[in-house]
Amino acid sequence: MARMKFICDSERCIECNSCATACKNEHEVPWGVNRRRVVTINDGVIGQEKTISVACMHCSDAPCMAVCPVDCFYRTDEGVVLHNKDTCIGCGYCSYACPFGAPQFPSNGTFGLRGKMDKCTFCAGGPEENGSKAEFDKYGRNRLAEGKLPACAEMCSTKALLGGDGDAIADIFRTRVIRRGKGSEVWGWGTAYGKSPNPDAKAPTPNAKVPEGGKVS
Amino acid sequence: QDPGKPAAAAAPNVESIDILKQNQAERTRDQPGNNAPTWRIVKEGTQNYSSLPYKEAGILIQPKAQFPGQEHATTAGEAWRRYRNGPLITFGGWLLIAALAALLAIYVVKGPARNSIPPTGRLIERFTPTERFVHWSVAISFSLLGLSGLVMAFGRHVLMPLFGHTLFGWLAYLCKNIHNFVGPVFLVSTVVFFAVYVRDNLPGKSDLHWLSRLGGVLGKDKHASSGRFNAGEKIWFWGGLTVLGLVVSASGFVLDKLVPGMPYLRGDMQVAHVIHLIGAVLFIAGAFGHIYMGTLGSEGAYKGMREGYVDDAWAMEHHDLWYEQIQRGDIPRIRSREERPETGAPAKA
Amino acid sequence: MLLTRKGQSGQRSAQRFSSSLTDSLSRALPTMDRRTFLKRSGIGIGAGIAASQLNLIQRARAADGADKAGGNGKIEVRRTVCTHCSVGCAVDAVVENGVWVRQEPVFDSPINLGAHCAKGAALREHGHGEYRLKYPMKLVNGKYQRISWDQALQEVSAKLLEIKKATGPDSVFFVGSSKHNNEQSQLLRKFVSFFGTNNCDHQARICHSTTVAGVANTWGYGAMTNSYNDMQNSKAIMYIGSNAAEAHPVSMLHMLHAKESGTKVIVVDPRFTRTAAKSDQYVRIRSGSDIPYLYGMLYHIFKNGWEDKKYINDRVYGMEKVREEVMKWTPDKVEEACGVPEAEVFKAAETMAKNRPSTVVWCMGQTQHSIGNAMVRASCILQLALGNVGVSGGGTNIFRGHDNVQGATDVGPNPDSLPGYYGLATGAWKHWANVWGVDYEWVKKQYASQAMMEKSGTTVSRWVDAVLEKNEFIDQDNNVRGMVFWGHAPNSQTRGLDMKKALDKLDLLVVIDPYPSATAAMAAMKVDGQELNPNRAVYLLPAATQFETSGSVTASNRSIQWREKVIEPLFESRTDHMIMYQLAEKLGFGKELVAKLKLVPGKGGMMEPEPESMLREINRGNWTIGYTGQSPERLKAHMRNMHLFDVKTLRCKGGKDAASGYDMTGDYFGLPWPCYGTPELKHPGSPNLYDNTRHVMDGGGNFRANFGVEREGVNLLAEDGSHSVGADITTGYPEFDHVLLKKLGWWDDLTEEEKKAAEGKNWKTDLSGGIQRVCLKVHGVHPFGNAKARAVVWNFPDPVPLHREPIYGTKPDLVAKYPTHDDKKAFWRLPTLYKSIQQKNVEAKLYEKFPIILTSGRLVEYEGGGEETRSNPWLAELQQDNFVEINPKAASDRGIRDGEYVIVSTPTGARIKVKALVTPRVGPDTAFIPFHFSGWWQGKDMLEYYPEGAAPVVRGEAVNTATTYGYDSVTMMQETKTTICNIERYTA
Ligand SMILES: Nc1nc2c(c(=O)[nH]1)N[C@H]1C(S)=C(S)[C@@H](COP(=O)(O)OP(=O)(O)OC[C@H]3O[C@@H](n4cnc5c(=O)[nH]c(N)nc54)[C@H](O)[C@@H]3O)O[C@H]1N2
Ligand SMILES: Nc1nc2c(c(=O)[nH]1)N[C@H]1C(S)=C(S)[C@@H](COP(=O)(O)OP(=O)(O)OC[C@H]3O[C@@H](n4cnc5c(=O)[nH]c(N)nc54)[C@H](O)[C@@H]3O)O[C@H]1N2
Ligand code: HEM
Ligand code: HEM
Ligand code: SF4
Ligand code: SF4
Ligand code: SF4
Ligand code: SF4
Ligand code: SF4
Ligand SMILES: [Mo]
Repeated sequence: MARMKFICDSERCIECNSCATACKNEHEVPWGVNRRRVVTINDGVIGQEKTISVACMHCSDAPCMAVCPVDCFYRTDEGVVLHNKDTCIGCGYCSYACPFGAPQFPSNGTFGLRGKMDKCTFCAGGPEENGSKAEFDKYGRNRLAEGKLPACAEMCSTKALLGGDGDAIADIFRTRVIRRGKGSEVWGWGTAYGKSPNPDAKAPTPNAKVPEGGKVS
Repeated sequence: QDPGKPAAAAAPNVESIDILKQNQAERTRDQPGNNAPTWRIVKEGTQNYSSLPYKEAGILIQPKAQFPGQEHATTAGEAWRRYRNGPLITFGGWLLIAALAALLAIYVVKGPARNSIPPTGRLIERFTPTERFVHWSVAISFSLLGLSGLVMAFGRHVLMPLFGHTLFGWLAYLCKNIHNFVGPVFLVSTVVFFAVYVRDNLPGKSDLHWLSRLGGVLGKDKHASSGRFNAGEKIWFWGGLTVLGLVVSASGFVLDKLVPGMPYLRGDMQVAHVIHLIGAVLFIAGAFGHIYMGTLGSEGAYKGMREGYVDDAWAMEHHDLWYEQIQRGDIPRIRSREERPETGAPAKA
Repeated sequence: MLLTRKGQSGQRSAQRFSSSLTDSLSRALPTMDRRTFLKRSGIGIGAGIAASQLNLIQRARAADGADKAGGNGKIEVRRTVCTHCSVGCAVDAVVENGVWVRQEPVFDSPINLGAHCAKGAALREHGHGEYRLKYPMKLVNGKYQRISWDQALQEVSAKLLEIKKATGPDSVFFVGSSKHNNEQSQLLRKFVSFFGTNNCDHQARICHSTTVAGVANTWGYGAMTNSYNDMQNSKAIMYIGSNAAEAHPVSMLHMLHAKESGTKVIVVDPRFTRTAAKSDQYVRIRSGSDIPYLYGMLYHIFKNGWEDKKYINDRVYGMEKVREEVMKWTPDKVEEACGVPEAEVFKAAETMAKNRPSTVVWCMGQTQHSIGNAMVRASCILQLALGNVGVSGGGTNIFRGHDNVQGATDVGPNPDSLPGYYGLATGAWKHWANVWGVDYEWVKKQYASQAMMEKSGTTVSRWVDAVLEKNEFIDQDNNVRGMVFWGHAPNSQTRGLDMKKALDKLDLLVVIDPYPSATAAMAAMKVDGQELNPNRAVYLLPAATQFETSGSVTASNRSIQWREKVIEPLFESRTDHMIMYQLAEKLGFGKELVAKLKLVPGKGGMMEPEPESMLREINRGNWTIGYTGQSPERLKAHMRNMHLFDVKTLRCKGGKDAASGYDMTGDYFGLPWPCYGTPELKHPGSPNLYDNTRHVMDGGGNFRANFGVEREGVNLLAEDGSHSVGADITTGYPEFDHVLLKKLGWWDDLTEEEKKAAEGKNWKTDLSGGIQRVCLKVHGVHPFGNAKARAVVWNFPDPVPLHREPIYGTKPDLVAKYPTHDDKKAFWRLPTLYKSIQQKNVEAKLYEKFPIILTSGRLVEYEGGGEETRSNPWLAELQQDNFVEINPKAASDRGIRDGEYVIVSTPTGARIKVKALVTPRVGPDTAFIPFHFSGWWQGKDMLEYYPEGAAPVVRGEAVNTATTYGYDSVTMMQETKTTICNIERYTA
């Protein structure tokens, strides 16, 4: 079974922000909400600069999911971590927990008023019916259901950003690494997909988490 | 874990100490293709460059953190998650259950507390309307905060299985908003409460005595003498209302993003949250005890707080020193007269 | 096993009808099972093998047409091309009921393989256009008021005629646009000619004019020789003055792929750029010192005998002369001038020499200097010395700017030439009058005189002076009084303070643009609370974007792509060619403008010339540069069948276009010009210029014989044996005309009809294409001859490129050694100062007051003046403030902290307010400001002067408010890359 993951190849990423805008465009994400952002390490330092594009990594043992007071996260068969905006209470806990700063909120949070959390969906929509208007309005497009890959990865200017089945993209990446003989670090994987010794980590039960509206067949 | 990642220590010809000091340029010179120094920066949670003007936009992975009692540092978010979902929620939950159980046990063993001195029919105004109003503001706001807080903290485990996702979602949403807006009300009430009540809660000599006899549980006579408020109440006043009230309020204001000029970084929020949750649990546990004492644990006390008046007998029995002061006329029997001059005599006299 | 979580929901939803514009596309796509999904997404078993580039496997998707939405008839996919840079990334626009609802990457495109940069990925915002000008407006009492199109056209044309009558046609200046498609570009040149002036220009002037002139004079054509794709064949790449990661991001796809196979990358730039971050060697030079650096490299190349001696002998003229100059640049002098130590220069030289084919990429870092023409030639010389030109993997990969700046340069509004570089001589006019189907004498009557008709106009970089300069000093009867900005921003030209004065002095200002607001606000801005010229007429006309029309666009690699129309013109906007036609009607030459064009109904049923027929007119006239073979049919076939073209070679491996039956086998993608002859000749286009390892009918070639056959007794033609594969002539030869054909006995290879047309003509003017056909097809020779490239360009001020210090610099000692040119009198109709200013600057010790070198350039998120991209919220959010990059040392010396506002001041007196970005990207002596901002004027937001509702989301200080005087000695390129400034903390 496919397990969706991202790899951002920092030997290729050029901070072009295509991924970030592709996401805005595809999902009509409002100003201030950045499902994906691009970060440069050692900016301007000769020989040391590296750029990485980061969004929700759809962690195996997702901290956001663990801390959500209303348990509105769920995981799809493909390992995509999604959430239900209808139940989200905008408490911000997921953003405190997320290592990558993925959860975003439409407003600033004075009096705790943040609005519903929004984050990268791996272009897989949300619990609403696939391709429905409700789904689009709340979560954006559901490209996976259309048989497409994430918009950000598809439009990446240099194909630095790979999004898809973890094994497949790791293969592509490995081929590159072998060819160039360096830059083998798969950024963020340890944090996102590493085995957690945490006893609190429940194995996700995708089916049980699917809110009303359908069953996985 | 990270496939293909070269272990940092495996670098040949480089002394292990220097390896941690090398920057990427030096490392590239010594060992082309090894990007370990760069990834170290990432894992340290440094603020890097991002064209987005938002705070923390330049942090790729949260810095490491370790809460008290944790074995080793992990990503701050992960550390926080483990701390909250682990000790805080677990012990907190058990603590509250234990507190309730203890009270239940006391009640079962001791039964409802009865006054030994029969009522005289003469009344003393124990709490003026202002005092009562302030108390109930605190009590009600606290209860709302406590209940809503508990729903947020424990509802997922306790209520959601009962109510189902949707209903619980609505409840939690309601609770969260109640909590966020009532919080400031609680703080204001608490401050006023403090101002109104602080004089009679200043510690005195009798408190030691009271304490040494644990309020009469030890020793010969049933009652240890005390002033208007006994040491137990004073502890609740200082430790509960004042200290815990301040702790949850301060941390709550941070969580509510009401402190001007604060950056509200995730790290701040995690710490504030941990403090808040610990404070809240202790506070709630304390409140259980207090409420028990104010109702079942002490006959007539509740009436005093509801209506303002207590019987002379009750005063004699529970707060003898205070009663003496009233008898001596140091304290007027009815302090709120000026405000209600038409009430010539106590209503139930 | 189904992919979706909700079982059959996809099917269910497909049946339910919803009027929502946004969701039905996704619904129309059937829910697919996992196998199909995996196959399409390329994640399946097998598909991933050996795919080190994701793009390669994603190409697999093409086969089953995943993107062609079925089910709902109203969903259409229109293929277009990004309008934001010359890479030419293709985009599939999904249009539902006339609304642009989605955009999908075109994985089939051999140029971008689905990839985009931020601007391309945000393209769909053009379908919203929230902040565009929505209807014509006019400046009344300091405020813009809505008027009707009829009134606008009436008043604008009346004013134009009034000015023409009073002071002659040359008192109007038309700034055209590299954003126009080829058809509109050529139509505008025609329009301006029929108005009667050569005072027209477009962005190329301030972009690559020095490249075009320098390179064309070196070997023939002023264009990128190879392609982005071909860089995959390079073994070493040197970027010098190009920040491709921000300016041509998708080109990096090819470069990084090459790098993974071992290609060495060198970046030479004053700033450690995002491109430099991907290099193997970064060389920091002082801005403006490219020639010392390049000569430093050549010094080591010659010293070590790394030059390609046979190549130089066979194909290069004048290398010895250059060598003399080069050998004067000993390593110490090089280091003194450009700051690079010998070892580094040596290393770069060695890398380029020992990893051949190696290529050089340059862009604005070289062109935008008062010696830009010499810098680019020095780069050409490096490549000639290494024998890299005309070689796959080599060449000079000159990354061009705007999406169609190449096309607009080739066929558009240039002050010194008619389309196709024909020049302005009588013969050229006759040729074009013939092509356009008008009478030469009639055209002549439109001009003030034949002399003015054949004299180059002034340039967009200098229009300010054409307005302000004392009349007796300018080389035309009257000053410019009317300006038409037709797709060009104001904040892209230097000397903003002077420009404001010029704007206030004009009698007429017309801005025809979807986002005319930068010009509009600057013009409306009051000076000290006063409107200086209340009688001035200012009009804003909403133009449609390129997504609201169809037409062809020439990418940097000379490939021509056809854009389908995505949506109807939004609001009240009209296409540029409709506006040209409607204005021409009012100006009295409407019929002539469209004499040979087909008219079709456009917006609102109004007539406009059909883009296809305009392209055919281009095909009919532009023989010089081979814009003749790219018929609309061929281009459209390519666009429909992108998947048939190879990514590395751009060549079609074989296949027919289903719709037209056209067989594309052997064609190069987009028929990169030159694509000689008529479309029927089926020239495949030229992927790499001057490549003599291929037959000319295979896209091969050699250097052009454009400068005679010999000079001072030295042969200018190629040596024996140096000819394109299969040529009947194996020595050098001159260009072809009817005489040469007859001499060679090839005349009879022409058909009778061709003979009639070719009589008295040459390869450039024979409208039948017969001469070209016979040369190419029958004899395998190049119609433009076979000559040597010129290392010495004797017709330029510095025949051998010489280093000269910038007009404004921080090094008086170097000015003494390498002073600039002497002043010029009538240069592009204007006096132009060099030495007098440079001397004055040194005497006034400006280097003490302004000790930091100020350079400027690009951010990936914004384009050009930026009004368009700053109106796009998806992009604007990413760069919300203009800033100056300043080195930590320079910053701490001045007590400046990161993120604070600072004042950057320059000798013009301008004081601009930007945020400090404290970063080691720049050295302590240099500062950098992106040039995409406008809307602030020396610290003040100009919002109140914008037409209502048409201000961009993000505004900021324009660096060009502060830039200084300085122009290239050949092309009048403005010196934007090197000036001086001081930076201080801002205190409110
Ligand atoms: N995102 C984006 N992309 C664009 C455009 C845009 O506006 N935005 N515009 C398009 C256009 S019109 C053009 S022309 C191209 C321009 O593309 P580029 O020329 O690549 O971009 P610039 O940033 O102008 O300049 C390139 C580099 O030249 C360096 N430089 C400055 N002075 C010197 C010097 O003296 N010598 C050398 N060697 N380098 C120097 C600068 O530091 C800068 O990094 O980009 C095109 N692509
Ligand atoms: N300091 C400094 N200055 C520079 C540069 C630099 O590096 N530093 N770079 C220079 C370079 S290389 C260039 S190319 C210029 C670029 O500068 P400009 O070309 O002046 O800037 P743009 O904003 O791209 O201008 C294009 C205009 O065309 C409009 N437009 C877009 N599509 C259409 C259309 O279809 N029809 C019409 N009528 N209008 C349309 C846009 O709205 C925009 O107003 O700037 C130059 N200026
Ligand atoms: C007085 C007693 C209070 C108690 C008992 C209490 C209790 C709690 C509890 C149990 C939680 C949930 C923690 C979790 O789920 O992990 C919580 C969260 C929170 N509390 Fe309190 N709290 C109190 C006061 C306040 C005050 C005074 C404020 C603010 C002014 C406040 C603001 C918050 C905020 C912002 C949260 C985070 C949850 C959210 O934003 O939805 N609290 N509190
Ligand atoms: C909700 C149920 C509550 C009940 C039934 C209740 C009842 C009472 C009663 C009966 C008294 C009077 C005791 C006496 O006469 O000596 C009292 C006093 C007091 N209560 Fe409560 N209370 C409640 C909640 C709270 C809460 C939530 C707080 C604080 C956060 C609080 C803080 C106090 C304090 C500080 C005093 C005065 C004692 C002193 O100053 O030491 N009470 N309460
Ligand atoms: S990256 Fe953050 S939001 Fe995404 S799954 Fe992991 S913890 Fe949750
Ligand atoms: S913000 Fe929403 S999603 Fe995040 S933890 Fe709170 S309820 Fe859950
Ligand atoms: S996967 Fe989709 S939702 Fe996530 S960042 Fe990429 S485009 Fe945005
Ligand atoms: S699109 Fe690709 S190259 Fe550009 S910033 Fe994103 S990951 Fe990096
Ligand atoms: S701006 Fe250039 S590189 Fe970016 S998407 Fe458009 S054409 Fe491609
Ligand atoms: Mo340009």
